[in-house]
Parts: sequence; C-alpha cells; structure tokens
Amino acid sequence: MNLRWYHFALWALFILVMALIPELVSKGTLRIIIFANFLAIFAISWDVLSGRTGYISFGHPFLIGIGAYTSAILTKRFDVPIEYAIPAAVLMTMVGGIIVFLPALRIKGSYFALVTLAFMELIYQLVQVVRPDLTGGTRGMSGIETLTRGAVNGYYLSASLMVVVALSMWLLMRTQLGTALSAIGMNEESVRGSGLSTTRLKLFAFLTSAFVAGLGGAFYVHYLGSIAPRALFDINFLFTIIVAALIGGASTIIGPVIGAFFLTFLLEYLRPYLPGAERYFIYGMIALVLYMYEPKGLIQLFSNAWNSLFSRRESAGNQNSDQAGKQSDAL
Amino acid sequence: MSIRTSTILAAMASAMIASAASAEIKVGFIGSLSSDTGLSTLRGAEIAIEELNADGGVLGQQIVLVKADTAEDPTEGVKAYEYLAESEEVDFIISGSIDDVSLGWLPRMQEFQIPTLDTWTSYVGIIDMIVEDYETMKPYFMNIASDEALATLYIDFGKDVLREKMGWKSVVILQEDTAFGGAINGLVTDALAPNAGIEVVDTIVYDITTNDFAPLFSRAQDSGADFIYLISSVNSQVVSSQYVKLQVPMGMTGVNVAALGQEFWEDTGGAAGGISTLSPVPSVGFKLDPVSQAFVDTYQAKYKSRPVMPHFNGFNAYHGVKQAMAAAEEAGGFNNTSWVTAMEKQDITLKLDGETWLRYAFWGNDEIEPRTGRTYPHNARFDITEPYNEASPSMVVIQWYEDGTSAVVYPDKYKTGEFTVPSWVKK
Repeated sequence: MNLRWYHFALWALFILVMALIPELVSKGTLRIIIFANFLAIFAISWDVLSGRTGYISFGHPFLIGIGAYTSAILTKRFDVPIEYAIPAAVLMTMVGGIIVFLPALRIKGSYFALVTLAFMELIYQLVQVVRPDLTGGTRGMSGIETLTRGAVNGYYLSASLMVVVALSMWLLMRTQLGTALSAIGMNEESVRGSGLSTTRLKLFAFLTSAFVAGLGGAFYVHYLGSIAPRALFDINFLFTIIVAALIGGASTIIGPVIGAFFLTFLLEYLRPYLPGAERYFIYGMIALVLYMYEPKGLIQLFSNAWNSLFSRRESAGNQNSDQAGKQSDAL
Repeated sequence: MSIRTSTILAAMASAMIASAASAEIKVGFIGSLSSDTGLSTLRGAEIAIEELNADGGVLGQQIVLVKADTAEDPTEGVKAYEYLAESEEVDFIISGSIDDVSLGWLPRMQEFQIPTLDTWTSYVGIIDMIVEDYETMKPYFMNIASDEALATLYIDFGKDVLREKMGWKSVVILQEDTAFGGAINGLVTDALAPNAGIEVVDTIVYDITTNDFAPLFSRAQDSGADFIYLISSVNSQVVSSQYVKLQVPMGMTGVNVAALGQEFWEDTGGAAGGISTLSPVPSVGFKLDPVSQAFVDTYQAKYKSRPVMPHFNGFNAYHGVKQAMAAAEEAGGFNNTSWVTAMEKQDITLKLDGETWLRYAFWGNDEIEPRTGRTYPHNARFDITEPYNEASPSMVVIQWYEDGTSAVVYPDKYKTGEFTVPSWVKK
C-alpha cells in the first residue's frame, strides 16, 4: 500500500476539519455541505468505475436510483426498518451493477456510454409505469422516513458517510487491485497480456462502484425524505456527477470531493445574486474554462500551486522537496 | 446628566430606532423563475407585498420578498426551501411549485414548520397528508382546488357537453410524459367512462421533447375515438399548433396549460383555434370581479414582459399573501399554532353583479364536501354543485376560437361563449 506518515496526517487533518465545520459555519451553509457530501459520494462512485477503468458510464443515476428507490419502497410501503432497508438497497444496487457490467464484456467507448444511458432511460420509464402504487409513479414519493432532523445532524451523517467512502476507496485504490483497475483504463490489452483477468477486475470495479452508489442513494433518499423520478433519472443530475469528478480530478479520490464541493458551493453562493437560471450559465462557463485550462482538474491546480510554493522554498535551501511533492500528490 | 452619559443614551436610542427600522417580515418565494406560472405567483406576491407595505406593512414592520428558484426540479426545490428556511430565515413561504417539486420540499416544510401556501400544485395527495397527520402538516395551505375537485367538475363537462351536446362516446388520451400528466390521466380514465358514459379506447403517452405529432394524431384517428383528450403541461404549444396546422379531423379538448396564458395565440403563431382546456379559476376569457380587475390593472401597469396577464396562481398568490399577513396580524406573528388558526378563518368573497364570483377561503378541518363525501383541510374552498353560490367552481373550461378570441364555455354561470369544434371538424 506504500502508506506514509503524512498520508495519515492529511486524512486526520481532513477529518478534523470536517468535524469542526459545524462550529464554524451557519446552518444554511451546513445544508449546502450536505448536498456537496452526497455529490462527492456519487462522484467517487462514478470515478471508481469510469475514471479508473475508462468505461465511461452515462447511466450512473440508474445505480443511485436503484439504491434510493429500493430503500424508499421498503421503508414506506413495507415498513421495513431503515437498518435493514439500506443493506438490502445496497445489495439490489450491486445486482444492478452486474446488469451494467454485462455490456462491458463486449463493448467499450462511446457504445458503452450509450448503452448505460439507455439503462437510465429504461428505469426512468419503468418506475413511472410499473407498480406506481409502490414507486409513486411520475410524482414519486414524499414523507419517506428520514434518518436525521436538523442541519447539524444531517451534516454529521453525510460527512461521516462521505469520509468513510472516500477513505475506503482511497485505501482500496492503493492496493495492487486498484493499480490493476487504473491499468485497465490505460491499456486493457496489456493488462490481459500480463495474465490478469480483466473480466474479473472490471466486475470488481462495477460492483464496488455500485456498492458506493447504492449506499449513497439509500442515505440520500433518507436525507431528502422524498424521491421523484424526474430528479434522479435526469441528464442534469448525471452531468453534475461527471463534471464534479472531472473538474475535481478524475482517477483520484480527493478530486471528486473537491469538484463536488466546488460545484455545489458555486451554485448556492450565486443564488442570492442570480436567483434564476442565469447562475447555471455562469456555473457552466466556469466549469468549461476550468476544464479547458486544466483538464486534470482542480487537484492538479492545487498540486501545481503546492509545487511552485515548494520550489521557492527549495531555492531558499529547503531540502525536503521530495517529501512535500509527494504530500501534494498523496490523495 | 454628564455629556458622556447623554451621549451613550443617545447612541442607545439611535441603535434601538435603527434596530426597529431594520426589523422586517421576510416572505420567501419558491418556484420556477423561468416559467409563466412561476412568474405569475412571484408577481402576484410582489404586488400584494407592495400594497401591504404602502399601508404600513404587517405588525408594524415592512415586508421583504426573497426569491428561491426551483428550476422546476424536485432536488433544486429541496435546496431552495432549505435556503429560504435556514439562510434567509423567512417567516412565510409562498409557492408556485409544480406537483413533484412541492412533494420534494414537503418534508422540509414538516421539519421547519414554516407557514407555507401553495398556489399552483393541486395534488390531492398533499391534502390527504394533512388529513392523516394534521399536527405535522398544519402550516401547509393550498389555495387552489385539488385535482380531485377539478376532475369531478370536469366529468360534469364531459357528461353535459361532450356526451350530451356533442354526442361523443369514445376518447383517445394523448398524454405528455410528466408527473402531472400521469396523475390527470389516471383521474380522467377512472372517472370519464363510468360517470360520463365516454369510453377511453386508447392512451398515447409521448415525450415532452416530441416535435412531430403527425404519427401520434394518425394513431389517434386510427383508434376510432370521437375526440382527443390532451394532457399537456410543459410543451403545449407544439402539439396545439400541429393539431391546427394538420387539421386533425377530430375534436380535441383536455388540459393544456399553455392555453391558460394570454400569450397562447402568439406562441402558436395563431394556430390555436378550437383548442380548449380545463382551467382553474380565474382564467383567460373569464369575467373578472372589480377587485380582481384592479389587481390585473396594477399587474399590467407594472410588468411589461410575459406573462402579460397573470395565470390563476397569480391571483391565488395576491390574495393568499394578503390573507397570510392578515392572519399574522390577528395571531400576533407567525407562531405556528395561532397563525394556523387565524389562517384557517381567512375568507374573502368577491362578488360580480351581486353574485358570489370568486372566494378565497379554506375548508374546515372536519367539514365534509357533500358531493365527494370527504374532507379537504387547508384546501381552497370550492363549489362543485350548481349554482356555485357557496364558492368558486373548482374549474372552468375555456376555449380559443379561430379568430384569436377566447371564452369560458363551461359551466353555464361563468360562460362567455359556446363550446364548438374547429371549422375543419365535422360536427
């Protein structure tokens, strides 16, 4: 795993900052961070699959939706306790992950992306017409049991979930398994040529991604207290997830987290000044410019800034350049 | 008194005056800022607030309005409600949200217990939630008749006009693929055949981005139905204008939200003759009482952009905000229990030529509506039995004619024109 002391120090610092945030910001800001936390979870989930293996999924809301709808239906329609409904939702989403995986056995590239998009459209239609008494049909469901009340509790729950997901995925990606997944994204044929089963590796990536998506989706619906097909199986929701991962920095763990926070705060902070649709235009422009300027995302910008700061120190005689450079790349 | 003491006292007095002057009542608007319906609610609320402020405000304080756009997206609606509740800390929320958006933020309303008035959503399921859990839902009011009441009166139109006057016995439903469309489809399908004697022979559901309706109209004709029942709330102009341009040889009525706006004729390039729609009151072609006319005059003097005439929810917002503020005066603020009690008692009856024309009041919590046999707590008081003397009817049917004029064609008391089919359709 090649873990160093500064890895633990940086994660500890991250957790400490997240834990202290409720003491430092208003409840309104906490509500924004809650949405950022969930978006970060979804972006990490997308990145585990698409950022690593290169199989670009346009159907991620399909997986998130399975998790959210399963838990919502179990708790609201069948009075299943949340503690059982959420694991069941995660398992169901992993089954969905296998369904998404099947096309990946034969196709890749834009064809795979289109097939996954079709999955999202398929479930969008299904939840509206198949058993609307369970799914709530086109209007969705309201009054779903929530896990918390109040901004602070909601924050701690979402932040804990996000940190656990981010840390787990980070550790996983530092194993040989994670390295192999990234290798698939670079050259799948070479990985196969080296004797590894790319089918098993891809299946693992799809199931891991589905696990995180299902977990995030289930907790998300029990935070919102409502669910609507138009909100989940929506192209804007899909693009927000992908843009968060790309703008933050794909194939990293902290990148999607940074991207999610950046996008969520940008939109919400524009709200008082541009309450209408104009803020989406500004948001789109900033995202576009950022991505054109630095395709590797905000994480790379931060890394460059760190390195340039470090270079100045180095010229002043600091001898710890190697370590500092590694620190900036650590997450 | 030393100079220093008097200076301090003067400073304290100034601070207190400044503090009193800056105290204000905050009203939050939640809805779409890019739709005619959302803007109707917003502008209705703005005019009401201006008039209230000109009369000294509420509880001795001026009222300010804060806007939160939902972009007609349920998740954005949750964020917008949270923003109004926790960042802006509003006292009261006026909503111009569509069904699934309101359902999305309702759990937040239950959590924050902020008095909230919905002016557009008519989903009876929300009224059911009040019936089931009054304590949690009591800050919520809906001052448009619920869709169940709309459908009940619409079935009367089906029986009295479509079945008896026009002689139509079968219908094909052409439904836009939206939450609203699915719900209305269910109500119409369940009630039209047994109550009006009109059989539903086919249902065609289409995507909101559809721009070629020729195949759908062909399928509708092939169904052998006597007329088309259109349910469209998002992209009504395209289907309407193609119906006219293709001269589809069968009548078409139903729910066509775009046709509720004064711009409908221009939006369809004049291809709207014969289109009719169910409409909450008041609507285009609707005779207005003096109070509502004064509101429209103010509206049209103030706003030059679309919608040039407020939709029904603009009227609801105008009167609703005034009622909410009157309730606050009576209750001494927006304290949940006392404000709710005061709001439940609000009652404005608007008369035209001595007759009850429009009424802004709410059903009592245990009051049973005689025709449907159920309660509608916190729902706009409506009347679905002739001669509509108790309150406004839950809906009217309006029609656009081929000369660009529009009229109310049902019920008789509110009628300003006759229901007819376009000139190319055989009678």
